[in-house]
Amino acid sequence: MNDPNEQAVLSEVPRQTFELEECGFREVPKKWRKFYRHWEGPGDELGPNEIICPVCKVVIRSKREIRVGDRLYCMPCMSRMIVVLGEDGTLQTDVTY
Amino acid sequence: MSEVDRPEFDSSEFDPHGMNPEDFLDEVHSFEFWFQAVEGYLTDNPYGHESGDEPISDRPDDLTESDKDSLITTLCNYCVGETAALEGASGMIAIAPNRHSKIFLATQVVDEARHLEVFLRRLQDLGVTDPEGEIERRANPTLQVFKRRLLELVKAGDWSAALLAQNVILESMEHAAFLVHATTADPVTAQILNGVMKDERRHLGFGENDLGRLLSEHPGNRRRLADIRHEMDGLVLAVFSRAADDLPGDASMREAMGREYIETMDRLGLV
Amino acid sequence: MADFLNSYSIQRWLELCPQGYLEDTVNGHQEGETEAESILEDDDLRTAAIRSTVQLVVGERAALAASSGLVNLAPDYPSKHFLATQTLDEARHVEIFTERLYDLGVKRADLESTIDNFVNPHLVKFAEVLLEKIDSGDFIAGVVGQNIVLEGLAFSVFEMMETTNRVPNPKFAHTLAGTIADERRHVGFGENRIGSLIKEHPEKKPEVEQMQKDMAYHMLKTFSLSFEEGADTVDKEREAIGDVGEANFHGTDLSSASSQEMQAVLEATVISEFRTRLARIGLEYQAPVGV
Repeated sequence: MNDPNEQAVLSEVPRQTFELEECGFREVPKKWRKFYRHWEGPGDELGPNEIICPVCKVVIRSKREIRVGDRLYCMPCMSRMIVVLGEDGTLQTDVTY
Repeated sequence: MSEVDRPEFDSSEFDPHGMNPEDFLDEVHSFEFWFQAVEGYLTDNPYGHESGDEPISDRPDDLTESDKDSLITTLCNYCVGETAALEGASGMIAIAPNRHSKIFLATQVVDEARHLEVFLRRLQDLGVTDPEGEIERRANPTLQVFKRRLLELVKAGDWSAALLAQNVILESMEHAAFLVHATTADPVTAQILNGVMKDERRHLGFGENDLGRLLSEHPGNRRRLADIRHEMDGLVLAVFSRAADDLPGDASMREAMGREYIETMDRLGLV
Repeated sequence: MADFLNSYSIQRWLELCPQGYLEDTVNGHQEGETEAESILEDDDLRTAAIRSTVQLVVGERAALAASSGLVNLAPDYPSKHFLATQTLDEARHVEIFTERLYDLGVKRADLESTIDNFVNPHLVKFAEVLLEKIDSGDFIAGVVGQNIVLEGLAFSVFEMMETTNRVPNPKFAHTLAGTIADERRHVGFGENRIGSLIKEHPEKKPEVEQMQKDMAYHMLKTFSLSFEEGADTVDKEREAIGDVGEANFHGTDLSSASSQEMQAVLEATVISEFRTRLARIGLEYQAPVGV
C-alpha cells in the first residue's frame, strides 16, 4: 500500500470489513475497548484497519479498512484526526483541533 | 424547548469513528467516560498495584539500600510534581472557558490526587515515616520553581498558558520520567507508574487538543505561548539534568521521549 | 488526627463511589429510566421541573468552583485528597443535573440562556458570598461556607426532592439518592476537619459567623422566591400524578402540604441542621435579619 497510485486504485475497490474483538485495552469504557489496542513497538505490524495515534501512540482500530480521508477518533487521548497519505506513501494521520 | 436540538448518538452501534465531532467531545469529556474508563484499570488495584496476600513491605524487591535511597528521592520529586498538577488542575477549573473543560479538569483533579496518594503510600511502604518532611528535604528546587510558575499562570487566569504549562509541559515531563523509570523499576513501583501513565494519556490529549483548538481560533497567541514554552523548557531541562542520577533508564529511551515532546510542540506550531 | 484524616483517601472514595453505589448507573440513575410522562407531557409541569433543576445546576456549579478552589488552600495532603474527590463529586452533580435539563427538553444550544432565564437571583448572591471567601484564600471560612452551609442546604433540599419524587418519578429520585450519599461525606468532612481548625483559630469566629449569616439570608430569600414561583403548579402536579401515598419529610406529608407548609418545613429543617452542626464545631448559628 506504499504506492500512491495503488491507493487510488484501491479506493475503487470495496473496503474490507472486520469483526473487532477486545485486545486487552482497558483504558476506555467497555463499549469502546475493541476499537483500541496497545502498540507493542516497531515489530508490531498494523492491519489494514489499524493506525497509530500520533498523540498517544495507541493503535486505533476500525471496523473498515482505513483509507485516505477517513475521520478517526482516539478516545484514550480525545484526539480527532483525518487519514492522509504521507510523503513515503504510507497512511498517516493529521490531528484536527 | 419542546425538543432536543440534535439526535442523540446511537451508542448501540458502538462505533466511535461514526460519531459527529460534538458527540465525541461530549462523550470523552464527561464524568461518565472517566468513570467507566478508570473502572477498567483501577478495580482490584488498591493504591495502584495488585493486592497480594502478604503486606507490601514483606514482598521481595531486590532493592539495595542505595537503590532504595534513590527511589525515595525520585518518589519525593514525583510528589512535588503531582502536587503541582493537583493544585494546577484544581485552580484551572475556575478559569476553564466551558462546562466540558471544567468537568474534564475535575476528573483530572482526582487523577492527580490519586497519583499523589499512591506515591505517598509507596514512600511509606519503603519505610518513610514522615513523607511531607522527606519531600521538603529532598525536593528538587527547580521543580519547585516550575510549580510556582505554573500556579502563577493559573492565578493570573491565563487559560491557554496554564493549559500549556500544566497539560502539555508538566504532563509530558512526568510521562517521560515515568515511562523511562518503569522500564527499570521494582515490580510494585512499575505497576504504580503504569497505572499513572494511563491517566496521563487523557491529560496530555486534552491539553494538546484543547490548546490546538484555541490556537487555530486565535493564531496570534502562538508567539506568546512559544515564549512561555521556551521559558518552561529551561526549567524542565534543569529538572531532568538534576534527576538523572536518581532516575535510572536507557538513554535511547530518554531521547525517544524528548522527540515525542518536540513532535507535540511541532503539531501545535509552538517552535 | 492523622489516622482520622487518612480515612479521606482517594482509594476509599474509589471503593465507595465508582466501585460502590454508582456502579451500574448512568448519569446517576439506572440505565433506561426516563423522566415521568406526567412532567414531559404538560408544559407547566415541565417548565416548573426545568426551573427547579436550574437551581440545582447553579448550586452545583458554585460547589464545583468552591471545592476546586479549596484544594489549593488546604493545609495538608489528606484534606487536599478529600477535596479533590469532592471536586469530582460536584462536577458529576453539575453533569447529571445538566443532563436532566436535556431530558426535560432544553436544547443544548439554549442551556446557558435557560439557566440565565430561570436562575433565582438570591441563589447567585448566596454563592457569591462563599466564592469571595475562597478567592481571598480563607480556607476556614471557605470550608464552613461550602461544607457546612452550602452542603447542609443541598443535603436537605435533595432529601425533600427525593421524597417527593420517589414514587412518581423514580429516575430523578435515583439521581438524587446518589447525590445525597455524596453530600453526606462532604458535610461530614466539613464538621470533622474544620472543628479542629476553629479551635486553633478562635479569632476567626466572628468573620465566619458573619459569612454564615449572610449566606443564610440569601438562602431564605431563595426559598421564598422558589416556593412562591412553584405555588401555582403544586396542585396541578398532584392532579397529574394521582394518589401516591404519604411522602413524609420531617413530620410533614409533602403529598398534601401547601406550598407555604413545604417552605416552612424545609426552612426549619435546614436551620435546625445548621444550628446543630455549627455548634459541634464551636460556632453559634447567626439568624439573618429582615427575612
